[in-house]
Amino acid sequence: MADQHLLELDNISKFYGNIIALKGVSTVVNAGEVTCVLGDNGAGKSTFIKILAGVHQQSEGTIRLNGEEVMFNSPRDALSAGIATVYQDLAMVPLMSVWRNFFLGAEPTKRLGPFKWIDQSTAKQIAKEEMAKMGIDIRDTEQAVGTLSGGERQSVAIARAGYFGAKVLILDEPTSALGVKQSGVVLKRIVEARNQGLAVIFITHNPRHAYPVGNRFLILNRGQSMGSFAKEDITIDELTQLMAGGAELEALEHELAAATGNGNGD
Amino acid sequence: MTDVSAVDANSATANDAGEADERLAYRSIFQRLFIRPEIGAIIGAIGVWTFFWAVSLNFGTTGGTQNWLDSASTLGIMAVAVSMLMIGGEFDLSSGANTGAMGILFILLIRETGELGGLGASIWIAVPLSFAFAMAVGFFNGWMVEKTALPSFIVTLATFFILKGAKLGLAKLIVGQISVTFTNDAHGYAFWQRIFAAEWERNSHVWNGRDLFYIGMFLVGTILITLSVCEMHFVRRSEPKPAGLGLFGLGMAGFVASIVLFHTTDGVGANFVAAAVLAVSVVVAMVGFGQWRYEPVAAAGGLRLNAGITNYLVAGLVSIGIAVACAFAIDSANSETLFFPFTVQGLRAVLIMVFVGVGFMLAMVAANRALSVNPITKGAVSTVIAAALAGFAFVVRASSEAAKFRTELFSVLLLCALALFAWAVLGTRFEERRRTDASADRLGTRGLLLGVALLVFAVIIRHLFVTDAELEAGVNPAKFSVRMLWFFGFTAVMVWILGNTRFGSWTFAVGGNKEASRQVGVPAARTKTQLFMIVSGAAWLVGMLLAFRLNSLQASAGDGEEFEFIIAAVVGGTLLTGGYGTALGGAIGAAIMAMSAVGIASARWNSDWRFVFLGVILLLAVISNRAIRDRADSARR
Repeated sequence: MADQHLLELDNISKFYGNIIALKGVSTVVNAGEVTCVLGDNGAGKSTFIKILAGVHQQSEGTIRLNGEEVMFNSPRDALSAGIATVYQDLAMVPLMSVWRNFFLGAEPTKRLGPFKWIDQSTAKQIAKEEMAKMGIDIRDTEQAVGTLSGGERQSVAIARAGYFGAKVLILDEPTSALGVKQSGVVLKRIVEARNQGLAVIFITHNPRHAYPVGNRFLILNRGQSMGSFAKEDITIDELTQLMAGGAELEALEHELAAATGNGNGD
Repeated sequence: MTDVSAVDANSATANDAGEADERLAYRSIFQRLFIRPEIGAIIGAIGVWTFFWAVSLNFGTTGGTQNWLDSASTLGIMAVAVSMLMIGGEFDLSSGANTGAMGILFILLIRETGELGGLGASIWIAVPLSFAFAMAVGFFNGWMVEKTALPSFIVTLATFFILKGAKLGLAKLIVGQISVTFTNDAHGYAFWQRIFAAEWERNSHVWNGRDLFYIGMFLVGTILITLSVCEMHFVRRSEPKPAGLGLFGLGMAGFVASIVLFHTTDGVGANFVAAAVLAVSVVVAMVGFGQWRYEPVAAAGGLRLNAGITNYLVAGLVSIGIAVACAFAIDSANSETLFFPFTVQGLRAVLIMVFVGVGFMLAMVAANRALSVNPITKGAVSTVIAAALAGFAFVVRASSEAAKFRTELFSVLLLCALALFAWAVLGTRFEERRRTDASADRLGTRGLLLGVALLVFAVIIRHLFVTDAELEAGVNPAKFSVRMLWFFGFTAVMVWILGNTRFGSWTFAVGGNKEASRQVGVPAARTKTQLFMIVSGAAWLVGMLLAFRLNSLQASAGDGEEFEFIIAAVVGGTLLTGGYGTALGGAIGAAIMAMSAVGIASARWNSDWRFVFLGVILLLAVISNRAIRDRADSARR
């Protein structure tokens, strides 16, 4: 059974000295599915994706890719294994054009003897086509990425990851800085990427964004896994409860009710 | 219109997605030119050149040109390299000292041993050895910056002190003095001297056909540029009308005839006839060309002025009027000093230039506003401006003493007026393009570049050769050093690298967002180290140019010049924080600085004023660059 999962994480832990950032996290990631990683601030979401992206290495536990045990020692390792990460800060250079950003680090080139230069027309063409597949008609690929809206930038990043052969796409809080409409655009892109057969890992602290698109939910709280659930096993309310650590949220609700009831916040 | 509702629905959904309403509007050729990062520097360079051409006697002559180009060359090579490093987000404070260090190192390597001191190495070994050392210095800078993750300001400041001290110490240790020299009898000296310091003496290269060639090239270039701009500005006809070509040919024939007439006749009356023929034939040729290729205008409309237009137009004309009044009221022959730094005639020139400049700009605002009314109104306003410009040309001619104003400025002003008028006529007849046409843009860009290249070539030829007539009149000698070729070549190569290679793309990326570029697999550390090595390599080149010029160098050569390189880069439009700029901008920035230094000397001002001038230029450059970048950046916000 283990062999059919694209990516399998078993008991992953990460310690920084005596600080336990992540403890015993397990989940599975399948192609054509969205795995949501939910957690409040400080829950260990960033540590989790940084391990997957090869920025940090786990202290304990194993990662299996297509059933084979792997260790990512650098972002390059993870990238060549087909795991692409779209970071919150987007890994884009705002003053550079869309096409240059799209191909950054992997520009197509032409060659004449010892001279090698970027094949600009091909690059622009592909960038435009790939963006069109994502449903965005970029009129001028020369335009600076800094002038795009937040949702469009996410789309460039997602399209780029897909084009460069990613099998697993990790999205770090793609909707956190966006408005309601723009978040909708990004969620649509996530579904499209999933439908194209990618395994998507969607990190968020917003269950309302996660629930509609997710197939599986991994919930983290204070570095501990609260469990990994298939969509049919959990409701959005349970999800929210678990994220906030269940009992704590209830206690908070009582406190809030009491505070507003007394009309005295001091 | 059956599909209006469909379009509306589309745009509504697109608006929900937050995309289509942010689409780029079409930018015309002029708008596109004006958001290039170098544009501020180019306009500045033209302004500074014009200023010194007007106020000093020999700045615009071949001798003056040779002067400022010479000092622009070494400064420019470094400025181009430093621009690239700054785009990559780093500084190199050791670049100035490095130029001198490389020259000194080279000289110490080849000096005879014994009493004179030195290593006595062959020049054939010393050249590559010093280059290898330059690469090592650059690598050290880059490696230290990457390993220590300290700001490059600090790391290269340390390198600066090390180089500065080593230069002095070694020179004193080996030669016993702070000035090191070498003799020119070494094996291979003649070869390397030609490479780094060959000179072209203008006065020993006589070519009597020069002016004919110059004018021919100049005209071909101008025509190419004009037609290319048309190509990029108007809507192409789906089916060209060859009939227009006849008219075009007729115009061109008249054009050539008028040029011949100018050249073969002398005298006011004949000149007027020639000018009239020229004006008419230019307009005829351009209209013919347009009829062949471009869609006629859909709705020209009638003349409709509004207050916004007339206010600006009147203000502009009044300002030009004041300039005319100044021209006649102030004595142009009076060279008494009124108050520093102005003589009476100097003040007059400045007043005229300022009022004309302001007036022209105001009038152009009016023309721009008229464009949004309809083509006819725009044409009418432009025609008025052209007439004012032509009138002003005659005022200049009538009221000036110096030949350069009476002939050169006069002709340039008249040609500008003609160009404006012809453009106005075309605008009323042909449809302006409002959408992208890639093939027309490609053709137009190529034509434009070729035209500019021809103009530059024409100017170069004019400066490189002398005619018998000039020699008889006793023209001053002028020597062009091969370092200018190094400057142009180095700039061209770097411009190409920055714009077309992966390394160039990565340079922008590591300067713009280093972490991001590293995440997507750009080798950031390697790119930055290579940039430091390019700067050090450029310093080596400059060191060679300096060493071979005089066969001697002061140990302090180059110290403190690093800030001039940085200033030149900033004046050229490079962002201090990295990620934005051009290599060409650095070269132009260097030209501006060299022009101001040479110009101030040739205007016979105290050369200390150069720094005031520099400061003002730097401030203006930073402000205007920022405005340009903001416009480029916020095009869609």
